[in-house]
Amino acid sequence: MSTYLLRRFLYMILILFAASLLIFMLYALMPGDFVSNNMKLTAERKAELREIYGLSKPVMERYFNWMNNAFHGNFGYSLAQQKPVLTLFNEYIWNSFLLAVTSTFFTWLLAVIIGVIAAYKQYSWFDTLVMIGIFAAMSIPSFFIGLFLIKMFAVDLKWLPPGGMLTTGSNATGMEFVREVVDHMMLPVIVMTLLGVGSLTRYFRSNMLDVIRQDYIRTARAKGMRERVVLYRHALKNAMLPAITLVGFELPGLFGGSLIIEKIFNWPGIGQLYMQSFTVRDYPLLMGFTMFIAVLTVIGTLLSDILYHAADPRVRL
Amino acid sequence: MKKILMTLLSLTMASSLLLAACSNDSSAPASDNGNQAAPASSSDSGGTTAEANTAELLAGPVAASDMSKLPEQAKKRTDTIIVGLTDPSGAFTPYFHQSGYDGNVSSVLYASLVTVDDKGLPIPDLAESWDISEDGLTYTFHLRKDLKFSDGSPLTAEDVAFTWTILHDKAYDGDSEVSTVLRIKGGQDYKEGKAKSIEGITIIDPQTISVTIEKVNAKALLTLGGNVLSKAYYGKDYTFGSLDYIKKLHATPVGNGPYKLDKFIPGQEVRFIANEYYYKGKPKTEHFIYKTTEGDTWQFIETGEQDYGSFTATQDNIDKLKKLGFLNIVPSTGSSYGYLQFNLEHATLKDKKLRQALTYGLDRKTIYVDANQGGAQIANVPTAPISWSYTEEGINPYNYDPEKAKALLDEAGWTEGAGGIREKDGQKLTIHFIGSKSKGTDIFIAVAKENYAAIGVQLEAEQFADFNALSSKFESRDFDLVSFSTPMLIDPSDGVSSFVNGEVKGYDNPKVKELYDKGLETTDIEERKKIYKELYQVINDDAPYIFTSYRKSVYAYNGRIEGLNVSPFRGLATSLPDWSLK
Amino acid sequence: MSSISGSVTKTEAHQAAVTPIRSSLWRQALHRLRKNKLAMSGFIFIVFMLLACFAGPLFSPYADNKINPANMNAAPSLKHWLGTDMLGRDVLTRLLQAGRISLTVGIASMCISVILGSILGAVAAYYRGIVDQIIMRVADLLLTIPGLPILFIMGALLSEWKIPSEYRMYIVMLMLSFIGWPGLARLVRSQMLSIREREFMQAAIVLGLNDRRKLFNHMIPNIIPLLIVVATLSIGGAILSESVLSFFGLGVMPPTPTWGNMIDAANNLIDFEKHPWLWIPPGVAIFTTVIAINIFGDGLRDVLDPKQKK
Repeated sequence: MSTYLLRRFLYMILILFAASLLIFMLYALMPGDFVSNNMKLTAERKAELREIYGLSKPVMERYFNWMNNAFHGNFGYSLAQQKPVLTLFNEYIWNSFLLAVTSTFFTWLLAVIIGVIAAYKQYSWFDTLVMIGIFAAMSIPSFFIGLFLIKMFAVDLKWLPPGGMLTTGSNATGMEFVREVVDHMMLPVIVMTLLGVGSLTRYFRSNMLDVIRQDYIRTARAKGMRERVVLYRHALKNAMLPAITLVGFELPGLFGGSLIIEKIFNWPGIGQLYMQSFTVRDYPLLMGFTMFIAVLTVIGTLLSDILYHAADPRVRL
Repeated sequence: MKKILMTLLSLTMASSLLLAACSNDSSAPASDNGNQAAPASSSDSGGTTAEANTAELLAGPVAASDMSKLPEQAKKRTDTIIVGLTDPSGAFTPYFHQSGYDGNVSSVLYASLVTVDDKGLPIPDLAESWDISEDGLTYTFHLRKDLKFSDGSPLTAEDVAFTWTILHDKAYDGDSEVSTVLRIKGGQDYKEGKAKSIEGITIIDPQTISVTIEKVNAKALLTLGGNVLSKAYYGKDYTFGSLDYIKKLHATPVGNGPYKLDKFIPGQEVRFIANEYYYKGKPKTEHFIYKTTEGDTWQFIETGEQDYGSFTATQDNIDKLKKLGFLNIVPSTGSSYGYLQFNLEHATLKDKKLRQALTYGLDRKTIYVDANQGGAQIANVPTAPISWSYTEEGINPYNYDPEKAKALLDEAGWTEGAGGIREKDGQKLTIHFIGSKSKGTDIFIAVAKENYAAIGVQLEAEQFADFNALSSKFESRDFDLVSFSTPMLIDPSDGVSSFVNGEVKGYDNPKVKELYDKGLETTDIEERKKIYKELYQVINDDAPYIFTSYRKSVYAYNGRIEGLNVSPFRGLATSLPDWSLK
Repeated sequence: MSSISGSVTKTEAHQAAVTPIRSSLWRQALHRLRKNKLAMSGFIFIVFMLLACFAGPLFSPYADNKINPANMNAAPSLKHWLGTDMLGRDVLTRLLQAGRISLTVGIASMCISVILGSILGAVAAYYRGIVDQIIMRVADLLLTIPGLPILFIMGALLSEWKIPSEYRMYIVMLMLSFIGWPGLARLVRSQMLSIREREFMQAAIVLGLNDRRKLFNHMIPNIIPLLIVVATLSIGGAILSESVLSFFGLGVMPPTPTWGNMIDAANNLIDFEKHPWLWIPPGVAIFTTVIAINIFGDGLRDVLDPKQKK
């Protein structure tokens, strides 16, 4: 196990290096750069600015500069926002994390419960209803669900705030502050959960169906165990197994932010920031953020492999 | 001037240059719910009906009809006004921010030496008056007495000189034209490190400063008359060649405008508090908030979380605003124009007749007015209807006329070939169009394809994901026709400079150059009017662009607010100190 | 509808692990599928949708997709059953025309990525060792690459190479499948790893079966149920993702409609409230198609699952 981990760790470093180069190249190859945002600049001024930003240097040199600075913990200043990249992350990423963690929790909780029941009562009305609901959520774009909820709960019924993270101009502190944030989180979390719960439910349902038919479940039933015990202790545990690999993959998603949700609900998250930086080709910020997500992705995959082994020791790593 | 051009972007009209391609379909700045739908009209003359309706709807301001509908949340606010702004980033130092939204914020924090009235004519702000020398090269500004920064320190000619100087630093990366377009005497020497100060700037006394430029420029007054930075604050750590320290001061601006910064919550709000040192006196409303709104703003207006919003003047939007009842609605037209630029380096497009035919053959009314529910009007000259230079005299309106287009194409030697597409010397008449991906471009392509097919021209369209991708395609010169829109234009020369400074590659008309120079050499408005009229007639006939549209908008605000007025050039900031809640 | 199909699957009778002649296996499956009424109704709906989309517009008086300034944004009426859009075009006709592209794109892109992902995942799990390492580490690398810049670069390249815009979307879809396989490959691999350790595989090894037979006759059939679930679930996403490509200028060009870009055209509160006929029809079309495909996929899964042979 430890040699395996060591080897995987080395691979991880290698992959991250390869990824950083590849990602840097991709961003550099994108049409347009930070200077070409502004059409009104004269050609000389553009050249001057490219000199100031170091954009006139060869790509490899720029890459090594970036790498060198990154090693010293310096991820540079955002060109557009004029702030250190890390400061910006700190300002936005936790807001996205809050939404993602909450909705991921509810997504898994609901998916497990619904998935198990739907599998146990395969082809019942409950199963059919759940299926239709899931497909409805999956075939309607998220902005529609978002608009619909805003229209209904915020504009017409006035039960929940229409967007943002705090009431504008609010000076709430302590518990009041928490309440306000929870109120504002409600709608986006509902939408994100709705969007995510579908495929996960289907996944659990299908695993559960697989497991229910296995011999040991039959044995357990034959032994006269109570149905609930069979279902939740024996079947669910085994049905969860393949799902454990998915846990690691959720990791980057927790910090990645969601562009559409953040936009519809006016949530101050990192997804928005990334998209804006993208349209203006704000390289330091793009590079910093993408590498951050890349690191999480690589850790996430390693994590899921290890978890898989832990859950099913038969599987050699 | 770029700052000012950008200042209003988010508050007024939608897809201006920088934002044309922003993120996704709601690319328009937040406060603008530009929807491109057209009026539901059952009569066959739908077009005209729509126009009549909109004309009536937009005839003038409409006052709130039923204040009892005002939402609770808006009623509760007694000393705070909230306005939406797409996305301020936190760099609030004028001249140094990279985003137009930060420009909106700094326009509240800083007053300028000279500002403009509703017609775009210069009026005093921090400077009480100014003199321009006979030769038009030396500008002398007389500051008001007892000006103070928001920290209580005095504002003097020293600060003005410092502001102009720092813009000439070689590390300066902003878009102020003081150091790039304007040629201040000795400015270049300073930039290159050959001089310790700029020769052309002379401080006469603490309230008087003069500056000499090398070449006459009608825009000089407004370019020089921008915001003033405090030397004591922003100049404390300044050494030539390094401006990085300013980034650390972005979040704690020391200004001289109506409000000072209270708190910036990234991605959420910019809170302001009235500035007691403002030269016109402390503003009437204690708190002002710019609320970050990325997507739709309707929900915030409807629930009273926001007091002001700007919308494209479509029938749907106007109907909905009127129905809400608690809003005052005011129509306005932006100061920019949209256009389709020909690639004049392509031999076929050098032919004026072909360009005119393509203009006649395009049903601009359907694309820009009808499909947009009257949210725009047709353009034919490179200036906006609100500008003092606007004229329709002697201007060909190029009304949609496929027959005329066909006749012109025949004259130009393009005859019908296989598949109904015209040919000349074995070459097919295809037009390669590029534009950024937006609803407006979708509509254009759908209609233009049909229009041009009808006159025997094939339109091949390409769309690009964002402005940057489009502009790099544009720079590769691989296109025949490209769709753009200008930023906000203040001086009429802004709207025509691209025809003479080489920006429109392949366009070279000596008459245009001559008139352009003449227009800048005098500061007499009446004389300039005459010159621009002639210039517009020449360009209108020459058709290097197909002028498309002027966008129309309505802004709506909480009926409790009094004293609100939106300047087409400077936005909310000019009237902001007078806003009060009744 | 539950009882009918339930009776088919619940009556289980195990067959010998070694299957006889292939064709009869498929015939059996087909037979059982035909008896599953729910699955068949899904299948019939898909056929109906395809027919309507490909043949329907031929009977429409508005098939030329002409703009009509006199009749913009009209509500549904006898002349225009589903109303008209902001350029006065008939929504019903456009809906059917849109279906052609959306269905093709949805099914094609789903097939490519499922095939690619499952083969690579299966190969990695079966051979282990260096093959596994290479495939999985490439997958790791691909997972770290952001998609957005790739779309932009591709947009610029396709434009430079003068690829006609009607083909661009397919090239882009293909490219996206090429970088999009790691997720599915990992899933397939993990399933295969556990199958590999099952008793019947030990038996296959003892019997001395060759690699190809072990892989394709014994291992892959065991993951087919999973693949069907993944594939049918991804169809809806694939149909919608076409509109994402359009958004980047890489999808179809206007005025050609697709379900995705029709629904996207109404993504603001005003259209949402005032012109429901713009977004309800494409929404319902996607929804029903996705349901039909999934019902059919479920039936197929039941029929093909080696663990529940009749």
